[in-house]
Amino acid sequence: MAKRSLSRQLDELVETILARRGSRTGPEPGLEPEQSELAELADLASRLRDLPRQNFKTSLKNDLERRALMAATARATSRVRPVPEGYHTVTPYLCIRGAAQALEFYKKAFGATELMRIAQPDGKIGHAEIQIGDSHIMLADEFPEHGYRSPQSIGGSPVGIHLFVEDVDAMAKQAIAAGAKVLRPVADQFYGDRLGMVADPFGHIWSIATHKEDVSPEEIQRRAAAHLQQEHGAGVSLKQVPPLGPAPGVREGFSSITPYLAVRPAAELIDFVKHAFGAVETLRTTGSLGGTHAEVQIGNSMLMIGGGPEIAFEETPAAIHLYVNDVDAVYRQALRAGATSIAEPVDHEYGERGASLKDLAGNHWYIATSLAGSPVPQGFRSVTPYFHPRGADKLIDFLKEAFGADEVARYAGPDGSIVHAQVKIGDSMLEMGEARGPYQPMPSAMYLYVADADSTYKRALEAGATLVQPPADQPYGDRNASVKDPFGTTWYIATHIKDVAP
Amino acid sequence: MVVRRSASREPVTEAEERLLVEAAQRDPAKFGPLYENNFERVYAFVARRVQDRLAAEDLTSDVFHRALASLPRFEWRGVPFAAWLLRIASNAIADRSKRASREQDVPSFENSDSNPGSSSPLEVSADEIEERARLFRLVDELPADQRRVIVMRFAEEKSIREVAQGLGRTEGAVKQLQFRALENLRARMSRMNVSKKNG
Repeated sequence: MAKRSLSRQLDELVETILARRGSRTGPEPGLEPEQSELAELADLASRLRDLPRQNFKTSLKNDLERRALMAATARATSRVRPVPEGYHTVTPYLCIRGAAQALEFYKKAFGATELMRIAQPDGKIGHAEIQIGDSHIMLADEFPEHGYRSPQSIGGSPVGIHLFVEDVDAMAKQAIAAGAKVLRPVADQFYGDRLGMVADPFGHIWSIATHKEDVSPEEIQRRAAAHLQQEHGAGVSLKQVPPLGPAPGVREGFSSITPYLAVRPAAELIDFVKHAFGAVETLRTTGSLGGTHAEVQIGNSMLMIGGGPEIAFEETPAAIHLYVNDVDAVYRQALRAGATSIAEPVDHEYGERGASLKDLAGNHWYIATSLAGSPVPQGFRSVTPYFHPRGADKLIDFLKEAFGADEVARYAGPDGSIVHAQVKIGDSMLEMGEARGPYQPMPSAMYLYVADADSTYKRALEAGATLVQPPADQPYGDRNASVKDPFGTTWYIATHIKDVAP
Repeated sequence: MVVRRSASREPVTEAEERLLVEAAQRDPAKFGPLYENNFERVYAFVARRVQDRLAAEDLTSDVFHRALASLPRFEWRGVPFAAWLLRIASNAIADRSKRASREQDVPSFENSDSNPGSSSPLEVSADEIEERARLFRLVDELPADQRRVIVMRFAEEKSIREVAQGLGRTEGAVKQLQFRALENLRARMSRMNVSKKNG
């Protein structure tokens, strides 16, 4: 009964506590000392007023679990790399007739590692991946019925795979031993790589390269141009066809300007250029005056040589700037062939190693090698005429007016005279420097191919040239005229009309 | 399902807690045990400083969500995880108070002490919070009918009549259960305090 009354008394206290809102720390209702037990319970009750609801605790927990799951998912998702580990943005996909054999070949030839292979019941490979170095390559058998065709089905592959490896020579050797076919032997390239090319037995083309030298884009440009000239010039078979056909009016195999060396010892000069410069005689016939007319190729350029001891004519020896691979070797060879030295080989501050020679017919040969990369500088051919006029600036004006020459470079000396200048006519470069010292004007003759000989002839006369011979069709397929410019050079102005068998 | 830790046991050791925190940092799905260990503490802290139950629930929810989101940035520097949670709680309360006064142009809904003589409720002692958290957990360990009465009476704020109806008991029986439950709680609290003192 006492308990019951205590529980009632307690509940009254609880009621009071629960009713007190807003003020949680007020003094407890006054209690008798003997009721201290009740007081303690009331104190607990007042604290329990803050007892959290079980539902709240559970629902918050569920809420947090959901949130945690989302966070975990987000974190897991963010760990998935859009570009999978080990892959680069670009991966070649090879379509192969006989992918299974190809897998084995690539292992042997390029040290490839097989990463995966999905073979079909019929033995064909639906998809496979290999790794060479740090790169992946995907491959599969061809399925012509679905439009996936191998090089063997198509008849070649327009796409090649370029491998950079530590040792191109070793890798190429390994590939060839495994059965690759050499397309280009391993060699140093102008862009700084050592490279070779092979075709695998399945028709795919592989370049294998080792980077040897860092070359700036500008330098690559420059070397590429020089390389192109070299490819089609010196040291390359005569059968090599220039990349573009001749310009309008220009005879095949010729450039716009061809020096015409008319000398009395014509036959000896032909022998000399053969021995000294490795010139190749491409034509020797009887000229219009009855003497000799010959054409020789030196490097990627042509030279005309004419004359003879028995006919009367004005000799036109000239100065020729001749780019060669090895100045010193050519210099020695030219001396042995009968030339006399004007200046021994020396490195010039303008980036060439050069030497000067005079041949038996009085021609000057300025042999040179560019010291920057390719022996022949950009824009030049093996043979470039060099003039030593009195009044080089006036000559430039004449060439511009008469032949539409472009001034490429002009270097003036302290006295304002031209030390060196370059102009371009058609596809050919022409050089000059004001006459001084041993370098004096030479009569020289140039055979100039233009699109329209008649109109150029007229312009040449208007520009101050004097008439030598008016335009006429020639039996050798050119229509030409000849004029002499105010500086003593004879210009044969020609347009090739038709090809005539020699 | 987390096995409930007995409220009468001492809180987890620092080493245990550290393992729990690090596990949750690696995998947020393992936040559960940290929540279970700290829910009553945080709630007690928050409820002590705000006026009504809804605000307390709101803030407690806010605290744990913030904690879950910032857990990867929690650095173990020997400060108990609970202290970190209570700091988040303090900030949450301050933010809410600022927001409330800005939006409604009322001073604050924090308890204002009507008795200048007593200590400010804003300075809730850590012991007091621990005491209350322990008390809340002990409720869970009461015999089922006593626990129901305490929960309905205090957490759900039901009258004796409502509780009696809900449980199908007489009002007298409910009052009796309430009395026994409180006695029970007092006994357990003092037992723990004694063991704490002697330990």
